[in-house]
Amino acid sequence: MADPEAETAPHLAPPPRNAMDRFIDGIELIAAFFVGIVAADIFISVLLRYFFSVQIPDSYDFGRLLLGILVFWGIAATSYRGTHITVDLVYANVGVRTQRLIDVFATLVLLFVVTVQTYTLFDKVVTTRAANVLTFDLRLPVWPFFLVSWLGDVSAVVLIAVRTYRLIFHPELLGGRYQIKPVE
Amino acid sequence: MSTDAVAILGFLVLFALMLLRVPVGMAMGLVGVSGFAYLVGGEPALKIVGHTTMRTVTDYTFGVIPMFLLMGAFVSNSGMSRELFRAANAFVGHFKGGLGIATIAACAGFAAISGSSVATAATFATVAYPEMRRYHYPQSFATGVIAAGGTLGAMLPPSTVLAVYGIITEQDIGKLFIAGIIPGLLAATMDMITIVIIGRARPKFLPAAPRHGWSERVAGLRDIWATLLLFFFVIGGLYGGLFTPTEAGGMGAAGALLIGVARRKLTRPEIRRSLLQAVRTAAAVLTVLIGALLFDYFLTVTQTPQQVTAFLTGLGLGRYGVLALIMLMYLVLGCLMDALAMIILTIPIIFPVITQLGFDPIWFGVIIVMTVELGLIHPPVGMNVFVIKSVVPDVSFSTIFSGVLPFIVTDLVRLVILISFPILALYLPSHM
Repeated sequence: MADPEAETAPHLAPPPRNAMDRFIDGIELIAAFFVGIVAADIFISVLLRYFFSVQIPDSYDFGRLLLGILVFWGIAATSYRGTHITVDLVYANVGVRTQRLIDVFATLVLLFVVTVQTYTLFDKVVTTRAANVLTFDLRLPVWPFFLVSWLGDVSAVVLIAVRTYRLIFHPELLGGRYQIKPVE
Repeated sequence: MSTDAVAILGFLVLFALMLLRVPVGMAMGLVGVSGFAYLVGGEPALKIVGHTTMRTVTDYTFGVIPMFLLMGAFVSNSGMSRELFRAANAFVGHFKGGLGIATIAACAGFAAISGSSVATAATFATVAYPEMRRYHYPQSFATGVIAAGGTLGAMLPPSTVLAVYGIITEQDIGKLFIAGIIPGLLAATMDMITIVIIGRARPKFLPAAPRHGWSERVAGLRDIWATLLLFFFVIGGLYGGLFTPTEAGGMGAAGALLIGVARRKLTRPEIRRSLLQAVRTAAAVLTVLIGALLFDYFLTVTQTPQQVTAFLTGLGLGRYGVLALIMLMYLVLGCLMDALAMIILTIPIIFPVITQLGFDPIWFGVIIVMTVELGLIHPPVGMNVFVIKSVVPDVSFSTIFSGVLPFIVTDLVRLVILISFPILALYLPSHM
């Protein structure tokens, strides 16, 4: 998971931030919020089970459906930050120019794969709605959870497209080794 | 094109994509689905993408990964590593190489509540390295000890790598965690013995820090109550059957948060940072898992695992000969890729061979995690070495690798011991 862009050298100024960066931060925070919710759901339901012999209705279904949401929103943030698990054997041994070419290629492949995934996941949302799949206890429809997950995947497509654009035209906006050194 | 040719081409494209830094999970998914589409048809291939992806991310069992990662992030950000090191240092720091022994002990303690090798190495590179340098420990030794200590993160429960192995092979994750305890403790003990041997063999190489009084030792022990409480709460609950692994992770994360907040070690920015760290890593790991499950369809239609099993068992090497061959392959692969990626990519192919040969899947999980963890410290990739280098950039790679060398030898000896005595890994799970 080594990421050269994540290693912002201390002598370099942070990359300029704009509305898009705040949007990206927002997406990451949404994913982080969901991971907290899943932990809280597990913690409270275990406590209630052992101390009060009470079960939160649909605790299990909420847990797994929220897990799906956090993963897709997390993938959006991870894809933009370039912190996926990668094999860096070639990358670590070539110059910055070739590294950028490799990054552009890898990001384009990523964009293609996630776009196909988003397309197929929409089909999953539609078929789940049509099949009227419900949660076990409260009989709530499952498809809205899938829809929120799918929106995370849509965000991933948008963010990967932004990353690709920035890698090609404005690499300095991605920080790390692509940053422009400040004038001294 | 024949099925075999498609399988070979698929693997070649997969390796090419990975070398071109396409994320491992995405490369596996792309090749898996494309190969499946070629052999079976485009429409069913697209169907499996949506179905498998959604099924994977909404599988409650997979929640074990983000939950233990969250627990590890809270633990890392609440300074427990420093307390562990201080306590261990108070007891053994005055011996020759004592700070190295203290580092290993603290790494083991941290691993028992964290679960990530890289996180353990990164944490102790900031906590233990400056202290060792203050007492003039050689750079090679200091960084080598931290790199080796970091590998304990994957062995002692909770271990992310063991959880992933359990998910892929459909083994009981709780049993796998418990199986890692004795081998993990053996690893820590053998690393400490290695330091003692280095100290005896080269008396002037390793210095000693000043002796601490009993008041400092007691104070050090008082500080680590939180770590002990968290470990016994999580692993005790798991061993006693009170929690499922996912619940143990959730309880551990909540417990780490509550302890951190109660001790005023976790403030709002640190909580936020912990949540972000957990979600980033969880997304990266689960992406690889989704890719692996998509790739599984390709393996199924090409019958690659069956063919590999037939090939390896037909070599006439005997079961331990085949096992040695597999481990050799992992050591070579460890030169190329990350431990988790290696496990996810190869286990679906190798696991049928192991079951066919009659090896215990829980024991093999421990063995294979230990083998791939070697890849974290041996050249040329050595992820822990890279992490340490990023924290202490003034040390060269060759210096770190020279410091790691004695521990690689120790790891190999330990592997032989664990293969010779499977009971070391299987004793505790057999009592669950």
